[in-house]
Amino acid sequence: MQVRPKKKRSILPYLLVSPYMLFFLVFVAFPVLFSFFLTFHKWNIISPMEYSGMDNYTRMFNDRLFWKSLRNTLWFLVIHIPLQIIFALGLAVFLNSKIKFKGLFRSVFFLPVIVSGVVVTIMWQQLYGFNGGVINQLLNSIGLGRVGWLTNPAMSMPSIAIMATWKNVGLYIILFLVGLQAVPEHYYEAAEIDGASSWQKLWYITIPAINPTIFMVIILSTIGGFSLFIEPYVMTGGGPLNSSLSSVLYIYKQAFEFYHMGYAATLGFAFAFIILIIIVIQKKYIEKKY
Amino acid sequence: MAITFLYPFFWMIMASLTPEKLIGSLTFIPDSFTFNNYLAMFGKIPIGRALLNSMFVSSVITLGVILIGAMVGYALAKTRFMGRNFIFYLIIFTMTLPFQITLIPNYITIVKLGWVDQYTALIIPFLVNNFAILMFRQSFMSVPQALIDAARIDGCSELRIIFQVLFPSIIPTIVTVGILTFMTTWNEVLWPLIVVRDEMVMTMPQLVTLFSVGGRADAQLGVKLASAVLLALPIMIAYSFFQKYFIQSMASSGIK
Amino acid sequence: MNIRNLKPIFNYFFAITLLLSCNGHEQKEKTITFWSSNASQEILFTAYFADKWNENHSEKLESQPIPEGQSSEEVIMAAVVGRTTPDIYANMWQGLVEMYAKSGVLVPLDTIEGFTDFIMARSGEAVVKEITSADGHIYQIPWKINPFMTIYNEKKIAQLGLDVVPTTYSAYLKAGKDFSKDTDGDGYVDKWIGDTEVKNIWHQRLNNFYPLYLAASNGAPLIKDNKAVFNNEYAVGVFNFLQTIYREGYFAKESNTVGSDKFLAGHTATKWTGAWDVSYLERYKEDDFEYNIAHLPVPDDHRGVVYTYADPKNIVLFNTCKNPALAWEFIKTMIDEAGDLKFLELSGQIPRRQKIKENEVFQVFLRENPKIIPFIDQSNYVYGTDNCEVLIEVLDIISQEYESCVIHNKKTPAKAIADASRAVDILLGNF
Repeated sequence: MQVRPKKKRSILPYLLVSPYMLFFLVFVAFPVLFSFFLTFHKWNIISPMEYSGMDNYTRMFNDRLFWKSLRNTLWFLVIHIPLQIIFALGLAVFLNSKIKFKGLFRSVFFLPVIVSGVVVTIMWQQLYGFNGGVINQLLNSIGLGRVGWLTNPAMSMPSIAIMATWKNVGLYIILFLVGLQAVPEHYYEAAEIDGASSWQKLWYITIPAINPTIFMVIILSTIGGFSLFIEPYVMTGGGPLNSSLSSVLYIYKQAFEFYHMGYAATLGFAFAFIILIIIVIQKKYIEKKY
Repeated sequence: MAITFLYPFFWMIMASLTPEKLIGSLTFIPDSFTFNNYLAMFGKIPIGRALLNSMFVSSVITLGVILIGAMVGYALAKTRFMGRNFIFYLIIFTMTLPFQITLIPNYITIVKLGWVDQYTALIIPFLVNNFAILMFRQSFMSVPQALIDAARIDGCSELRIIFQVLFPSIIPTIVTVGILTFMTTWNEVLWPLIVVRDEMVMTMPQLVTLFSVGGRADAQLGVKLASAVLLALPIMIAYSFFQKYFIQSMASSGIK
Repeated sequence: MNIRNLKPIFNYFFAITLLLSCNGHEQKEKTITFWSSNASQEILFTAYFADKWNENHSEKLESQPIPEGQSSEEVIMAAVVGRTTPDIYANMWQGLVEMYAKSGVLVPLDTIEGFTDFIMARSGEAVVKEITSADGHIYQIPWKINPFMTIYNEKKIAQLGLDVVPTTYSAYLKAGKDFSKDTDGDGYVDKWIGDTEVKNIWHQRLNNFYPLYLAASNGAPLIKDNKAVFNNEYAVGVFNFLQTIYREGYFAKESNTVGSDKFLAGHTATKWTGAWDVSYLERYKEDDFEYNIAHLPVPDDHRGVVYTYADPKNIVLFNTCKNPALAWEFIKTMIDEAGDLKFLELSGQIPRRQKIKENEVFQVFLRENPKIIPFIDQSNYVYGTDNCEVLIEVLDIISQEYESCVIHNKKTPAKAIADASRAVDILLGNF
């Protein structure tokens, strides 16, 4: 039932969505096209732009650091996603049981989520210190020996992944809790009557019920992994041996340390393409499984 | 377990209050306290100004995102026009577009517009938020059409309908969008790092980041940690008051 | 929603806007903007001259430190791109001037009346030749240098039974072996003979590889006639020396951004640094901390004087400057004899002026600050940077190889230098 006069109907909605259209044209459509155009050029903004054909692409395929940063990001995801799911789910199950101070625990776990990543990074950089860091002091005092958290090329990405898990776990605990509370109590009661163990209950009732949440954690962590920037920028500068060079940090370096705008745009395209492919694969795989 | 979530913050606050040469051996409570790190930091960087900048930028963006988000969301939910579905799918598509593609060209746009070192560079690209539009669209869809029709018969303009008649019934959405927008803009670092190099315009997380990697701290760890503590403080205070809303907003962001 | 409910929101915005406008720039009456470096002493120095100028001139000068950033080079490049450059910038790394001159963003200073004569009298013919651009113009005022040397903790070196810090590779390594150890018995080295930043950022190589290379080679270039010329025994020798240091654990492999200053805390006995470090140490050291200065370590068979990296930082005018002659008038007050003396007193860095030691004006200062004298002596044997437009990328390539060979022992020094040399030649378009 439309009460409005006809004339008004034709213009008004367009006025309402016009801010969005303007935004879309200036900050989405134009940049995507311009970025594509840039990938065929060599440009540092202050000098004239030079056409360079496929140079940026051939360079990228031969660029050791491009592949390295991609491998680093995937390595981060391989460590971070399982850690994130295990800790978030474990703590959510714990908070879902009948314990005291539930609210207090929840607020404490949530604290790192709201604090700026810069603060978290500056803090952990010092905790991770090889010689004077608190974590190594602790490990040493219980006789385990020190770990080169940020100085060992094999450890720098895992260290960042642990920190990222610590920072985000509070959010995923909440999401899992919402999922857990939606599981009807009588499922568990029925399982108990059938003599199911706690593990069986977790595996056959809980996990399928919260599968959409798990999927979301995976997607969000993937996007987060490809957005890693401030953590390596502050903690390691991408080192040691480029082992913590993340994809965004590499784009940043090419663009704002060397002003290779064309090449940076090419990297941006490549990484965006890779992210979309990974997400499509994740979606297919997980939807098929359940 | 809970201790591992609190201890890093505790360590940082204690270390920022410890004389420089004792920080290395600090694990729990320092032998002596000092505020010198804070005093030295205030002399080195305009952190008060950065706090105001951050508040200004985040507030303007939050307001803009709510107003524009509500307008577009309303248009998508409650009006019919040619291309409505097209715009809806455009928004979905834009949401899935990784920011890596637009980062470099958007920087060049800002340069060509002459917005480098201006608040406009920090604010305008964030005024429209796809997620907020979808949130508003969804809540407006559940508002009864009768409410709108009645207001129209009373002669209300569409903007009045959105902001005066319908807003009271979607307050949870406004709060959620507001908190999420404010938090993400407050914590944004990469974009300010790229478009702003003037300390008088820098946001607080940006200034603290640069202070920790740059040279002005004279390699003194205590002053760097002091700046990080100050950066953490405002949002921790807000969190302690509005904890429930923070958690609810973040949770609903993930579910939709 | 009632309009009255929005009142607190309006008040909030009003308050923030008011506060922001209160302590903003007062740009209207200022006509010259000046960026100094980030070092606290230089901020003081610039403010002193800006105040003096503003007392006597109607055209005001506004000075501020360069905005904080990962490196000043990065900040300046961003300012050039964003067209937000200051009129005067007084910390321009000499290695970048040629690139900016070619992009046309710098004012050719030799077109200003009296400029060349002034500089010739202050710095001498050799320096003027060094800073003249390929197109024959001069785009920079050679202002200050910080020759890299070894500063050492005298008490720590004395513990090894030595009077002065060793200055040859083998003696330095021997000292490293004797000094670097685990003193608290937790199984890890906690005292090191020295320390230098390990981060893989191109400009960090100006603090270790490059000065040592110049010292070993008597000031040889990296790039000559658009070709890489550093694939030689000196570069390989430096890599070998540093690789041994890290392999044997004589230096810590941890970035200096973690923890406090190791040299001040006595955890390290030496560091390679410029003259500015003297005033830094004087400011932050404990009262009983004693230090001295020597030239950089060189190969055992080195003959003759020891060169080093000058770390030249110069003054440039950007073409956003509306009145270059007036800007030059101001700069002159900073770099005449009285200005250079003030600069020495406040910052402890070395003005690029000939015959400082012989000049009457500086005698009192030198008597009171003997620690500066080694740096002034060293400033006769320094080299700046090669005239290469892509020097940053050259140093980045060397930095990649440095990290993998020197710090992580993944390659032999000969292979690392050869790889770097080839990559630089590819960059320069020689293949």
